[in-house]
Amino acid sequence: MSVQPAMPKSWRLDTKPHKFCPGCGHGLVLKALGQAIDELGIQDRAVFGCDIGCSLLSWDFFNVDTIQTHHGRTTPVVTGMKRANPNLIGIAYMGDGGGYAIGSQHLVNAAARNERITVILVNNTQYGMTGGQMAPTTMPGQKTETSPYGRDPEKTGYPTQGPEMVAAITKEGAYVARGTVANLRQLKGFIKKALENQINGGGFSFVEALSTCPTNWRTNAEETWNFVEKEMTKYFKVGEIKVPGPRQEEGN
Amino acid sequence: MTQTFNGRTIEGDKGFWTIFPGLCKGCGLCIQKCPKKCMSWSDVLGVYGTPSVEINSEECIACGTCQTFCPDTAIAVERKKKEKKQ
Repeated sequence: MSVQPAMPKSWRLDTKPHKFCPGCGHGLVLKALGQAIDELGIQDRAVFGCDIGCSLLSWDFFNVDTIQTHHGRTTPVVTGMKRANPNLIGIAYMGDGGGYAIGSQHLVNAAARNERITVILVNNTQYGMTGGQMAPTTMPGQKTETSPYGRDPEKTGYPTQGPEMVAAITKEGAYVARGTVANLRQLKGFIKKALENQINGGGFSFVEALSTCPTNWRTNAEETWNFVEKEMTKYFKVGEIKVPGPRQEEGN
Repeated sequence: MTQTFNGRTIEGDKGFWTIFPGLCKGCGLCIQKCPKKCMSWSDVLGVYGTPSVEINSEECIACGTCQTFCPDTAIAVERKKKEKKQ
């Protein structure tokens, strides 16, 4: 047999090439997730819930039980499945519109209740599927369809710091991190730790992934990487924000 | 039935580099990430009718960065095993 693509085993080969735009970060985040599922061997236990928005194009992405939910309601649907059958591994996959705008009440309350699910949120700073409107995560000064002169923080506030908010309201045992598609190995490690935290019964596991949207940013490949690596990381700091275990002293 | 993809393999000094034009969408992310800047657009068209990519086989060090950062897994890199020193 000739050389075949180096896809994660949990990917569903029949639906490839996938439906995301050229250069979309969803493919990279889902590649990291697929590799994490492979390495943990949880393909038959995992339930993948996807939201409305560009993230719903992943509904046939994996050979994993998948449910596609209403906009912003992925967190409660996966929570319900996890409560009905605690043996499952619930993965809620959403965009920043679904997680921080219409679904923020579910995210906040699931985090406050410390539900034992994993939430993966892909942040591309605007609403991709509807054509690039301003979202809660749009950077100050960034031009979108509904902020043609750049986002003005005086009028519309500053971008949502999702992981910091979740880390502040969760109890001990939660795992919160922010990765980026510009450092895929690190992102895969964060997703794997988040899944392991759920398997060990730790608590709410939340990973935000900084992602790309060349179509709506109207950038070429070079500008796309520049925006993800240099512009977005100025405001969204990459790294582990909360890890399970006793709270570490300041300065350690 | 499982679908298969036809690869186009280029042999470099350090390894075998394979592009799958049936998966490549021509986003160009790999060209920017290449540490040796040895990738360029190819005459072979990808799945959306956009150019796919190819390497300069003399400069490629088979590090696999392009494989890591391809959102569509259209690139597979295999390093040649080092010959044992005698």
